Amino acid sequence: MSTATESAGARLVLNIYIGLFVLYLFLPLAVMSAAAFNSFDYPSVTQWHGFTLKWFVALAHDQRLLQGLVNSVLVALGVIAVSIPAGLSGALILTRLGERSGTMLYSVLVSPVLTPGIILGISSLIFWREFGMPGGLFVAVMAQSSFIASYAMLLFLARLQRQDRTLEEAALDLGASHLLVFRRITLPFLAPTCFTAAVVAFLQSFENYNTTVFAIGGEWTLVTEIASRLRFGLSPVINVVGVIFVALTLVAAITYVVLKKKPKT
Amino acid sequence: MGSLARAYGRPLASVIAGIAVAWVLVLILVPLGAMVEQSLWWRESKGDISLTIDRLYNDISLIELDREAETDPAKKAAFDQSLADKQAEIATLEAQETNPPKTYGLANFTRMSGLHFYIFVRTIFYALLVTALALVVCYPVAYVVALASGPRKAVILMVALIVPYAINELLRVYAWLMILDYRGVINGVLQWMGFIDLDAREWIPFLENPSAVFLAMIYTYVLFMVFPMVNTLETLDRNQIEAARDLGASTFRIHRRVIIPHAKPGIAVGCIMTFMLSAGSYSVPAIMTRGQGGDWFSQLVYRQFYESNNWNMGSAYAVSLLVVCTAFILLMMRLFGVGLRDIAK
Repeated sequence: MSTATESAGARLVLNIYIGLFVLYLFLPLAVMSAAAFNSFDYPSVTQWHGFTLKWFVALAHDQRLLQGLVNSVLVALGVIAVSIPAGLSGALILTRLGERSGTMLYSVLVSPVLTPGIILGISSLIFWREFGMPGGLFVAVMAQSSFIASYAMLLFLARLQRQDRTLEEAALDLGASHLLVFRRITLPFLAPTCFTAAVVAFLQSFENYNTTVFAIGGEWTLVTEIASRLRFGLSPVINVVGVIFVALTLVAAITYVVLKKKPKT
Repeated sequence: MGSLARAYGRPLASVIAGIAVAWVLVLILVPLGAMVEQSLWWRESKGDISLTIDRLYNDISLIELDREAETDPAKKAAFDQSLADKQAEIATLEAQETNPPKTYGLANFTRMSGLHFYIFVRTIFYALLVTALALVVCYPVAYVVALASGPRKAVILMVALIVPYAINELLRVYAWLMILDYRGVINGVLQWMGFIDLDAREWIPFLENPSAVFLAMIYTYVLFMVFPMVNTLETLDRNQIEAARDLGASTFRIHRRVIIPHAKPGIAVGCIMTFMLSAGSYSVPAIMTRGQGGDWFSQLVYRQFYESNNWNMGSAYAVSLLVVCTAFILLMMRLFGVGLRDIAK
């Protein structure tokens, strides 16, 4: 199966190395997850005071965290609404532009991906204050969209590169209007990417901290709320949030692998 | 624009162009310009303005006394005139006091204190160190995932890497906070082994050491180095390695002459992402130090905005950070001979 370019000894060393690396990645997460079930008031695994689910109940009654969750979803939906049309438009233009002007526009449109998140948050905060919008959910949407739209655009660009343009041209030759071609050929071709881009945008927005913390002002999302809790003292409630995140990610990853395998068998 | 109209028709093309222009202007360029503009001016608040105003009020009281005592109408008019002058002067000064005039210049950049400049340099240095270390740690990982494992093992390894990558960075930092805290895992184990006594507060204060931030940062951003490298290495034809081996090249030589040259774009992207994320990270230092350890530059920026309320200074700090990151990107692109198009793949 695999190309055996190494000697057996070298392969062993490499495998041990990878094993240690994966262990390094997972051990801290395991420690964090385990502490969610410890009835001790302070998140710990070394001082075990018995198994409990009471921190899950505490989370369910935590109004600020629940409101943060709602805010996070609102912001993420806003980001999808802004960044999918923006990313799609950018990609449609770039596929039709010449080499030179294309490269210029391309550099501007991908630059937010390469900019530190705090810079995006700060510049949006300053810009929107001029229009009387103080930091809050709206500014957070705008700040996050500036770079998430770039990710969406890259996804659309990749898809458009595989597009068979003769199809559109044939439809136009046969007398279809541009709008009809766009609606019946281009959009259906891009629909799967729209879905992927929306999922990516949602996850990126939901997770984002460094940009949001500057743009959010006096409001909060789930992630900024967790961060401000962590600064004042540790509580196992945060571990419960962690457990839920880990579990959801594992389920998603396993589903993905299973779904990916299916067509082959 | 012409080709766009030809491809999508005039109405649709103008909608598409309109959205894209709005994105470029409203979300990217103008906010950036606003930040740069903000960093280039400040309001001159002279402390002596209030003193001058106080002195003028004193003068006015004295003149009023003199005016009361005066009987000659000509002289009285003269007093009235000087009273009006002084009051007008007070009005302009008070306006300046409450709303000092904008002054443009580079002072926000040059006024950075020695300590803040030291933190700035230290942040850049640590970010470079994180990047270099991540590169060394990740190269073998990317190599094994992309080239040295069968399809089944590669899928399992990818999942093992994606799961921690997909978990929120705050929670990853938090896991390390739990490990290194005063009553954290390491101190707990040390107590269990009998080396320290937590109840006597004999813990080892890992969190007060800057390397705690460094450790958590590597953990948080190391995977941003792995995936770009895996992506480029996967496109390498394994037969090339076979051929090199058959022709008698050593393992070291194969890596140096075949694999690493092919991985160049991935290495460049990995380095750029890791450097950019760690130099601009606010989450890791804010959570790990909790005010006990050394500051990271992003924390200074945050405080300028939300504690000192000095947006001009804060913008100048942010622009400085942006300049360094841009310089790093350009350097990497030149060093590895890759263009922006390769990067964004």
